[in-house]
Amino acid sequence: MSAPELDQLLGQVRELTKQYLAGGTDAFGAFCDLLNLLLRVTVLDGPGARITAGPRLKDGRDRMVIEGGLAREDDIVRLRDGRFLRLFVILFREPHNGGHRMKVEQAEYQYQVDDAGNRWVFRYDYRREPRDQHPATHLQVRGKLYEPVPLYRGILERTHFPTGRVSIEAVARLLIEQFSVSPASPSEIWRPVLAESERAFDQIAHRPLSGPSA
Amino acid sequence: MIERSSVLELTRDQIVTRIERGAKQRGFPYSAEDLIHAYHEGRLDDPSAVADLVGLAALLPDNDPLFVRP
Repeated sequence: MSAPELDQLLGQVRELTKQYLAGGTDAFGAFCDLLNLLLRVTVLDGPGARITAGPRLKDGRDRMVIEGGLAREDDIVRLRDGRFLRLFVILFREPHNGGHRMKVEQAEYQYQVDDAGNRWVFRYDYRREPRDQHPATHLQVRGKLYEPVPLYRGILERTHFPTGRVSIEAVARLLIEQFSVSPASPSEIWRPVLAESERAFDQIAHRPLSGPSA
Repeated sequence: MIERSSVLELTRDQIVTRIERGAKQRGFPYSAEDLIHAYHEGRLDDPSAVADLVGLAALLPDNDPLFVRP
């Protein structure tokens, strides 16, 4: 890719970001299109994310799921290292200042070796309104701990490490920089594209407490 | 040119089937209704393992039988 192509990509990122921030009826599509653009310049191999809708829309509400679209019955995408990313985001629109705005209700990014997800490696979760004591934004790692400390439920993978809000941009960087997934474009392209998008996310991301206040 | 994303429309039956099949694959032999209630009542050891499956139910109306026990 060349400098003009980078300029074009950055322009697309700005346009899609503006659309989803505006919260109109096209906000869900803009969010999904942006997510796919980010994945295509970084870690994606094959079909990207899709918008999934259900009967609730017919009920007059405004809520959709953005999920991995590799198979109709699942929510994963294939990565360029042959492994998979479970990608699941619930979006909703609500009235705001005479218009609407779009919010994230729940997000999950799980790196996994098999398509079923039994051999997962790490998982980032965000839930706007958690119903349990676990941190609303957390990281889980499926691995072994070498020191004998009393873990939640006795195994590391059940331990919910509190984190800040983690973006899809951060997950793509993590996969490339720390898990050796070969990027789909040179770093001169994917780094500025991710940075452009992540700046907007950082400005609006909801940051919950690390646990219940009572 | 921006590539536009595809849209998948699921019926209620398709949502319930996906929840129950996914739960079984991940070692949670529950009906969709039981899984959703266990999740919302905080009775699961690792709720994040099925958060996406339970999340699919967000595409159903609030008065769906999955959310309302008789």
